[in-house]
Amino acid sequence: MKVHTRIRRWGGALLVLGATVAAAGCGGGGDSGGGGSSGPLKLDKTPVTITLRHPWTGDEKKIFEQTLQKFHVKYPWITVKTIGYPDPDTFDQQIVIKTINAGDPPDAFLSFGPDYVGQYCSSGLWQDLSSYMNRDNVSIDDFAKAAVTYTNFDGKQCALPSLTDSFGLYYNKDMFAKAGITAPPKTMTELMDDAKKLTVRNPDGSIKVAGFVPLQDWGQLGISDLARMWGAQWFDDSGKPAFATDPNWAAAMQWQKELVDWYGYDSIARFYQTYNGDEFSAQNAFETGKVAMMFDGEWRTAFIKREHPELNYGTAFVPAADSNPDLYGAARVGGTIVGIPKGSPHPDQAWLLVKFLSDDPAYLVPMANAVGNVPTTAASASSPDLALPPQFHTFIDVWNNPASSFAPPLTPTGAGYADLLGNFDNKWVAGKVSDLPSGLQTLDSDVENQLQLGEAP
Amino acid sequence: MRKHAFVALLLSPWIIGFLAFQLVPMLLSLYYSFTHYDLISSPKWIGFSNYKFMFGIGGAQDPYYWTGVKNTLWIIAFGVPLRIATGMATAMLLTRPRRGTNVYRTLFFMPSIAPRVGAALVFVYLLNPIGPMSQLIDAVPGINSPLWFGDPQWAKPALLFIAVWGVGDAIVLYMAGLLNIPRQLYEAIAIEGANAWQRFRHVTLPMLTPVIFFSLIIGVIDGFQYFDQAYIASGPASGNRGLGDPQNSLLFYGIWLYEQAFRYFHMGYAAAMAWVMFVAIMICTAVLLLTSKRWVHYGGGGLS
Repeated sequence: MKVHTRIRRWGGALLVLGATVAAAGCGGGGDSGGGGSSGPLKLDKTPVTITLRHPWTGDEKKIFEQTLQKFHVKYPWITVKTIGYPDPDTFDQQIVIKTINAGDPPDAFLSFGPDYVGQYCSSGLWQDLSSYMNRDNVSIDDFAKAAVTYTNFDGKQCALPSLTDSFGLYYNKDMFAKAGITAPPKTMTELMDDAKKLTVRNPDGSIKVAGFVPLQDWGQLGISDLARMWGAQWFDDSGKPAFATDPNWAAAMQWQKELVDWYGYDSIARFYQTYNGDEFSAQNAFETGKVAMMFDGEWRTAFIKREHPELNYGTAFVPAADSNPDLYGAARVGGTIVGIPKGSPHPDQAWLLVKFLSDDPAYLVPMANAVGNVPTTAASASSPDLALPPQFHTFIDVWNNPASSFAPPLTPTGAGYADLLGNFDNKWVAGKVSDLPSGLQTLDSDVENQLQLGEAP
Repeated sequence: MRKHAFVALLLSPWIIGFLAFQLVPMLLSLYYSFTHYDLISSPKWIGFSNYKFMFGIGGAQDPYYWTGVKNTLWIIAFGVPLRIATGMATAMLLTRPRRGTNVYRTLFFMPSIAPRVGAALVFVYLLNPIGPMSQLIDAVPGINSPLWFGDPQWAKPALLFIAVWGVGDAIVLYMAGLLNIPRQLYEAIAIEGANAWQRFRHVTLPMLTPVIFFSLIIGVIDGFQYFDQAYIASGPASGNRGLGDPQNSLLFYGIWLYEQAFRYFHMGYAAAMAWVMFVAIMICTAVLLLTSKRWVHYGGGGLS
């Protein structure tokens, strides 16, 4: 399966390492001239072949294309021709932009990366689906509340989710029992205490088992995933970066640094460097008992089932800051999207496909079972045919939590600005930032400059 | 006239290719460097804004521009001389007649056939904290292997291993240069009573200066465009994810340019960065060419 990782540009290299991940998504719609925006629904049943571009590869591609057959059964006059990506390592958005610019877009797109939806919506690269959705009584509210945070921008609903990823805390039950911990941590204080209790060191002081690695980019973790549990906001009400002005960022970074310093930066950096490259292999640090707790996506349940079925583990919500217990249950979410590009030759038929890929349990349930991603509609999530391990339900709950959202927030120029935050945090935990408040102020202005560089004059 | 037309006809594939794939794209990129261009909407003229942002003139500055410049200068300053020295030294060993020379020559040349990305992945594995190289170092009492691609102090030096390991292409050049040195020169200096160092200093080295000069120019140009190995080493294969990880120590000019262009779609700004790099390469090459008159010795008298 394909996982939507936060760091999209590494998708290719992850594949090299045998990574699989990803939620499939489909979105669709379009209100171009032919779009059926008014009048009674009357489908044009002239036989037609439409194209769908999707990045699934390998076994998942087979499953995807099999499941897609059900669309043809439902709409026998529409044949879907799928096109893969020339090189699975290419960023989705490069293909999207290239084919649309060249005037040769497919009828519909399925993309693993919502990072650029802000760009797709605001530039019109992907069509606004609203008129189709109104016509067919599809509402973004049919999905979880978080769906809107990565499929809609500037009021334009230019994509729909089709399965998703969500994040939670994995914990090793055997290690918990051995350390005498009876329940997964619910607060950041408990997380820190448990992390310390669960850590085992070698005789030379190096880390044998880490309770919880709090570093930016350790697996799927970002500082923003921690800071959100304090309630940190990326931007203030006027749209300016709020890393310095929202004190929750500094609070999260202080928490993080306290734990890093407890390990000793050199020790935890060595541990990170040793194991982080194996995130998507069977040598994954959590799966092989090198860490007791880990922040990760729902797909890990499928990996564990396949690679280490003997692992005795549980899943829980990400602990919330002690000051903000209401946030317990929320986390980052977001995965595969579907949409109709500008210039789609058959937007009306493409909409039917988008609707099928985003809304039809006949597609969502078998696909969720096959790739281990979160089903995105209420009907698919409660389907009796859903065959996912009990640990999986945490992730459905996270998806449905009203405080969950996609991060980094969409902008018209993509998500690259988030790199600057991660970069700053790496230096902070390494002790290279002497004055946190002024460092965060510089970060604010760097992010603002970066965003301005992308904005049209 | 007909002769000219015939020549033009023969040249036309090259001329067309040059115009379509070099000159026009170059001129376009020069134009883009003065625009805001994101591939989606058409370019908008913004004058020198991209260049001003690069250098922080009259307002905001690219926070990582100079990081990229410094890292790039570092890899040129250390990588180029190192490759010249090791390439030349190895070539001198390999040109000594001994049994199995051809085997050695093949072995030393082989790494340079390896794709750079593949080579980088291998080194990432070798230099992992629990990889073979680190274990070897850790086995020495009292020494702890550095984190290499996990430590900003050691990440660039670790890249030098790859540079030296893949020095085979340079070795071939130096071997050709060495084998071209007339025996009589060594005989003459031997009669003068020169020792090994003097033979090297007064015959071998001067006679090799054209090859050294060539390596230097190519090395500097490659250094400005340094990319593949650093992109892998700063990537997830070594557990890294951030911009030129660890902590920007591998954020080379080429990598930052690539990120700006193909991750952020700041095509205008990336074009401006490319043009500044182009001008810098031209200046460096011109300076090297000028100084070459003082130290490069052409046995045949050179071009002038």
